[in-house]
Amino acid sequence: MSAHELFSILPLLIISAGIVLLLLQVSFWRNHIGSFITTLVTLVFAILSCFWVAASLSGNAGSIQVTSLINIDYNALFFSLLLLLTAMVVSIMGYNYLEPRCYPKRNPDNYPEEFYILVLLAILGALTLVCSSHFATFFLGIELISLALYPLLGFTVTGNLSSKKEQLDSLESAFKYLILSALSTALGLFGIALIYAASGALDFDSIAIRMPDLSQTSALFATGTTLLIISIAFKLSLVPFHIWTPDVFQGAPTPVTALIATVGKTAAIAFLLRFFNTLNLYQSPVLIDLLTITAIASMLIGNLLALMQNNVKRLLAYSSIGHIGYLIVAFIIGNSAFGTEAVIYYLVAYVITTLGSFAIVGLIADSVETDQLSRDKKVISPPEAKDDPYQREFYRGLLWRSPWLAICLALMLLSLAGIPLTIGFIGKFYIFSAGVEGQMWALLAGVVIGSALGLFYYLRLLLTMVQRDISENTTNFGALQITTSGQLLIATLAAALVLFGIFPQILINWINTI
Amino acid sequence: MTLLAIIIILFAGGILAWLSERHLHKGGRWISLASLIISTILISSYWPQATSVSTAESSQWWDTLLTSWIPRFGISFHLSIDGLSFLMLLLTMGMGIFGLVMTWNDISFRRGFFHFNYLWTLAGIVGVFTAMDLFLFFFFWEVMLIPMLLLIAVWGYDRRIYAAIKFFIFTQASSLLMLIAIVALAFIHYRNSGQLTFNYNDLLGAQLSANAAYWLMLGFFIAFIVKLPALPFHTWLPDAHTQAPTAGSILLAAILLKTGAYGLLRFTLPLFPESSEAFAPVAMTIGAISIVYGATLAFAQSDMKRLVAYSSVSHMGFVLLGLYALNTIAIQGAVMQMIAHGISTAALFALVGALQHRLHTRDMAELGGVWPLLPKLSAIALFFAIASLGLPGLGNFIAEFLVLVGSFQTNHWITVVAAIGLIGAALYALLMVQRVFFGKFNKKLERSNKGHTISDLSIRETCALLSLAVLLVIFGLKPQAIFDIAQPTVLKSMQRFTVAHDVGPGSREASSSNTKSLSPPPVKDPIAGTSP
Repeated sequence: MSAHELFSILPLLIISAGIVLLLLQVSFWRNHIGSFITTLVTLVFAILSCFWVAASLSGNAGSIQVTSLINIDYNALFFSLLLLLTAMVVSIMGYNYLEPRCYPKRNPDNYPEEFYILVLLAILGALTLVCSSHFATFFLGIELISLALYPLLGFTVTGNLSSKKEQLDSLESAFKYLILSALSTALGLFGIALIYAASGALDFDSIAIRMPDLSQTSALFATGTTLLIISIAFKLSLVPFHIWTPDVFQGAPTPVTALIATVGKTAAIAFLLRFFNTLNLYQSPVLIDLLTITAIASMLIGNLLALMQNNVKRLLAYSSIGHIGYLIVAFIIGNSAFGTEAVIYYLVAYVITTLGSFAIVGLIADSVETDQLSRDKKVISPPEAKDDPYQREFYRGLLWRSPWLAICLALMLLSLAGIPLTIGFIGKFYIFSAGVEGQMWALLAGVVIGSALGLFYYLRLLLTMVQRDISENTTNFGALQITTSGQLLIATLAAALVLFGIFPQILINWINTI
Repeated sequence: MTLLAIIIILFAGGILAWLSERHLHKGGRWISLASLIISTILISSYWPQATSVSTAESSQWWDTLLTSWIPRFGISFHLSIDGLSFLMLLLTMGMGIFGLVMTWNDISFRRGFFHFNYLWTLAGIVGVFTAMDLFLFFFFWEVMLIPMLLLIAVWGYDRRIYAAIKFFIFTQASSLLMLIAIVALAFIHYRNSGQLTFNYNDLLGAQLSANAAYWLMLGFFIAFIVKLPALPFHTWLPDAHTQAPTAGSILLAAILLKTGAYGLLRFTLPLFPESSEAFAPVAMTIGAISIVYGATLAFAQSDMKRLVAYSSVSHMGFVLLGLYALNTIAIQGAVMQMIAHGISTAALFALVGALQHRLHTRDMAELGGVWPLLPKLSAIALFFAIASLGLPGLGNFIAEFLVLVGSFQTNHWITVVAAIGLIGAALYALLMVQRVFFGKFNKKLERSNKGHTISDLSIRETCALLSLAVLLVIFGLKPQAIFDIAQPTVLKSMQRFTVAHDVGPGSREASSSNTKSLSPPPVKDPIAGTSP
């Protein structure tokens, strides 16, 4: 391993160093804001190092092989950047989530610093997955994400004194994810074993060399890849491997929901792209048919089930199933520069929008929590629909109570629905272009039907916010007080959403240059 | 740049009106009025081109703005104006001002946000009428929907949410089909020519196989007739109209429906001439059925707004019929119908709104004998009802007459069926007048309005309505000016149809992409003599 190779995995090293540093810091000096700042600094350094590595890449052939385990190229660095930025957003959301819930004044023994360590661990796993060129690193990455996510999903139980219901939901979500994730990992491992049995290699390049001999005749190889895809489809919550999604999304602390919805899926998509490109699996009719079926099923079922939801987090969970379905449409068109570009653009749109909507939902819930604490009335019994910040009813008339917040949420919803002036529209446009170029009319029909269904529930939420008859009970909330960091976060995401929606060329250039 | 300035003024005016809400209690409407008037003045600066067009003009376009927007896809920010756009822009601005003036005092809830939505809808519509890049066209097509949705959903009547969602899903789902068609058209062109572009003028020259052209044409066609609306996609319209506030109804009826007709004339016909020709009998049949069906349902309504809404379905059926008759006379009639229907229906909706504002009902079972109570309003309503049924001497008559004359040459039987709609129009319009304004005074009204003095139309409302009435009379007596302005665009569209029709010299020219030199000398239209 040369110095140059070491240098090229600098982002990974920085994150690892940050984790160790944070562990040491927490053992000597327990302080919430201190750990938060360390995390942010680590992430900023990792982001800078990505640019640094990217600059050095241009001198080489565009990619650096670090042993046979890791391969750094432009795509991997772009995904790393996206993941690191996402991690920053999640950390800020996490700070806002933990600060009111830990009652630092009343319970000085209550420390939430582990949250940041776990977030960094999840990011380290995601970065590993993005750069992996070997099944060992693939497995390492995907397990690191999962292992960090189990405690994060159940964080309400350990870290603070949330209400009973919140704790139970959180516990349920952690266990559901633990069991189903373990099952999918087992399937994936079995798939890897079969691929190894068929090809005799574990690193992607060697498998790619043996591909012509294997072709499609080897049943072992086909079964192996199918099992592997299934285990990834579980992470992506594609139908029919989506059963866990709504419960986990609903029960988890909102920042963790945002993490699992963005980081987990981005990393899995990035890996799929690399795996398919290296092995040129786009030629395999079985896999493509399989993906086509799951894509159509995800678009239809995800959107259909979202129609019935009153809980906003559940609604976003089902809608994310639909969105990954759209993404797969762009993915299927294959090994062209345009297909990859479409996937990346849609992914960026999805990440910005999902983060934004979960951030707003989470921050609204945080402000309600703070509000209840300051008035010293902790609701023990399950709240009514209009007082529960996760229910659609709570959002009634939000535009008149907190106009700026409501505008940002409206922008996020419009972007999810794919309406112009937002990044979501350009993403949809990419999907359509990809579908037309690949002449996949059945998939396009699925996109149209899914979008039409999606419009209904996004609009219903949007129109709830502009309802003018505010019932007396909710008016006592008045304007919602969002913390400054939260306001900045939402404003930044909304600005990015509009900027890339009106001038998409900026982002297209970034995707193509880095 | 003028075109861009108009759009920017409307967008900025909307934002200003919203922001000013907190500081100026009723300032928003003055800001709206000011930005609308400035935009109108800017559009009027094209008037010299409009008057000179009848002599000799080499280019169809009066003004063009072209800058690169998303070079990755060959998408440019491309605005152009020609005679058709000019007419539609004037209609947009005129009806925008009319709607604002008529509902000057109606809105009491969140005025600033109301005017924001109002102006943004108009800005989107201006974009639709001037965009010459298909992507940009689609962009504006969507931009105008959201504020319109909010107008219905926030300031509408009881079932506003249902109506708003229905309106939006109908139009949005159909426009996704159009988006697929647009993208497919661009990519087919790309495969043939190696140049990825969404430019209208370039795509006119796209080489399409007959099969592909037919499917793409259908994608555009469905999106436009949902907006028009024509059978069987009209069901959103009665709900949207009934639940929308008066100003929203005016926007919807007077301008938004016209974007569908405009799209058919500007995009569907010229882009896919052969398949449009093959499809024409179906489209004409849909038009004729819409005419009769709309008239029949209008006849059966007891809610005045619903009645006017169904009459819109019937009138827009004439537009569809005229456009697909594929000859200059009928298309000119369709353009005239777009304008005349815009004016008369806007006035009718304004009148129903005014009536409801005063009597708190628009159910005809609870109305009756209103004339002595509100003489001015009733008289003006009578005028517009008669205009709507197509009385000779008014714009609507010219329009419907030309459509029927033109389509008779193409298809006798469909035209005969369509003509029955005229009788239906007379029935429902006169019946409405009779049930609301004449007859015995309805006792229910007295009970519900006890203790209130009911005022007749104010000077503001009277002036606004009378100016529309004057316009209709002018169009009815001297329609030639409209025909002259629209003529180059209509001829250009017709040129692309290889099979020539007996009207319109120059329509025998074979279709080609860059027909600048081929464009015929604009002659005096042969239909000059039809005005009574």
